[in-house]
Amino acid sequence: MVLSVEDVRSLVLEKLQPSLEARGLRGEDIPDNYDLLTEGVIDSMGILQLISEVEARFRITVDFEDLDPENLTVIGPFCRHIAKKSLTVNR
Amino acid sequence: MGTASKSSGAKATSHGIHGGFLRSAELYAHRPALEVPGTILTYDELRSRAMSLAASLRRATPSGGSPLTAVFAHRSATAYAGVLASLLAGHGYVPLNRTFPPERTRTMLLRSGCRSLIVDAESEPQLEAVLDLSEESLLILLPERTELSSLRSRWPQHTILGASDLEPAGNFEEKPVLPDSIAYLLFTSGSTGIPKGVMVAHRNVAHFVSLMTDRYCISEHDRFSQTFDMTFDLSAFDMFVAWERGACVCCPSDKTLINPAKFIQDVKLTVWFSVPSVGVFMKRLGALKAGEFPTLRWSLFCGEPLPAEIAESWSLAAPNSVVENLYGPTELTIACCHYRWRRGKSEEECLRGVVPIGDPFPGMDVLVVDEELTEVPPGKDGELLMTGPQLTLGYWQDPEKTATAFVVPPEKKQTYYRTGDRVRRPNEAGPMCYLGRLDHQIKIRGYRVELGEVESLLRQEAGVEVAVAIGWPVTASGAGGIEAFVMGNKLEPQTILKRLKRKLPAYAVPRRIHLLSDLPLNPNGKIDRGKLAKLLADLPQF
Repeated sequence: MVLSVEDVRSLVLEKLQPSLEARGLRGEDIPDNYDLLTEGVIDSMGILQLISEVEARFRITVDFEDLDPENLTVIGPFCRHIAKKSLTVNR
Repeated sequence: MGTASKSSGAKATSHGIHGGFLRSAELYAHRPALEVPGTILTYDELRSRAMSLAASLRRATPSGGSPLTAVFAHRSATAYAGVLASLLAGHGYVPLNRTFPPERTRTMLLRSGCRSLIVDAESEPQLEAVLDLSEESLLILLPERTELSSLRSRWPQHTILGASDLEPAGNFEEKPVLPDSIAYLLFTSGSTGIPKGVMVAHRNVAHFVSLMTDRYCISEHDRFSQTFDMTFDLSAFDMFVAWERGACVCCPSDKTLINPAKFIQDVKLTVWFSVPSVGVFMKRLGALKAGEFPTLRWSLFCGEPLPAEIAESWSLAAPNSVVENLYGPTELTIACCHYRWRRGKSEEECLRGVVPIGDPFPGMDVLVVDEELTEVPPGKDGELLMTGPQLTLGYWQDPEKTATAFVVPPEKKQTYYRTGDRVRRPNEAGPMCYLGRLDHQIKIRGYRVELGEVESLLRQEAGVEVAVAIGWPVTASGAGGIEAFVMGNKLEPQTILKRLKRKLPAYAVPRRIHLLSDLPLNPNGKIDRGKLAKLLADLPQF
């Protein structure tokens, strides 16, 4: 199964919906460069948990080796990174 | 309330828990004391900053408040200098966290009675929401700021000092500290909706630090992780155990913590201390590979149950380290029991796949009791009570809650703290095992949450009489989050959640609020939490 960026973004927004709504934001309003961590929507462990949930939902493995934390908390790069890494699919 | 020590309030000591830092600053002036994102501070530099802040606190703190200073800073040099400055000035520190909702921070500030605050640049924007125009006059130190005119006109009733207004470090004069004076005041979830402030004395922390530095043979070559926010008392281990022996505290940014493995390797840590959940996620994401962390000497976990498979995997990932499980509520000072993981031997001592909490620290006394607070026989289950030098002073300005939790059991003369944890009293020399809670307190990634606090706020914000919060999904170390149920269908869950977000730390906010026309009851007429859990299990997976 090849994962699209949209698939990942949908799942992320679904998981973060309560936090985003509490800030009066709707999923479609979130720009590509929105930093989930610095905006306080999620903390470091929350990001790990999110990655873990994405892996579980899509049955993929995300390669943790070259994970650059600087960029990963920004929603656009996060979704693109995950979608790219999903080419290694767990069967 | 009584304390366990007969010599409380005896002679003042110049030491206090910051004494170790000051001694290290003499011995290791040019060694790194602190690494924060972007800066390395030597002992001499950190001491200088702390002394300058302390002298300013001494000079300008308005009278009439509590002997406490709020440190409103997060993962910055100011945060650590602020903690040391408070202690040097003879105050306990009250950590405030900008990742908490401002309303909660405001409550903590007001209840603590602090008349002085030390604030870093990143927390400053929240001052607007935290301070009030009708506030008593406060001293606010902003060591990272020089331009203060707008703040001063905004808050004319407060004394606001920036970098250029601070006293020179040389103006600081050390004064002795009483062993029973408060070192820090930490707020913890309160089941009736109001957070409780735990008063931890210098004497309590000194005992802990002395044991830990010896047990782990800490030296000036050690490099400590700093994964816990200062509002979590486990951060006191990271700071004071490191500084006692001249070691370096390595504080990562929040972003760095997303890849803990990389952090350990890049910084060449020798001491790792975190909640087990970090290990759980690292393992799930394949980051816990054998031999990954050769520099670690000690791998310590605390805050929630430690799954046996994580202890095992981590011991393989950090083959030169010893893995230990630590246990202890804030009321017993950081941690008060420990268990060493031994490959090939510990598995059979584990209960339900969870690592034992082990034995009490030297000097601490254990009692496992039934509902009447009488000791149970060996091998039986009961509530864990403990006493000793790490028994803290009680809850800030709350004699009622203190009297409920700090009790003298029948046939005993000392005060013990009721942990509310169920444990199995070992037979002979076996380790103690944790079984669960007696009440509705749960751990979410190590953070303590009283479900009662969430329920109380739910009732308030939703305007309902009955609300139930349960931990869900249940994990080996507690719960992943909270799900809430309220009775009534004319409510707007999102509106209620928004209101809760303003009052609770993020981890304690329910992920969803379910509206039910009826809450299921068990034969005793009490809410059937099991049925609610089943309702959740039957929902389509999210």
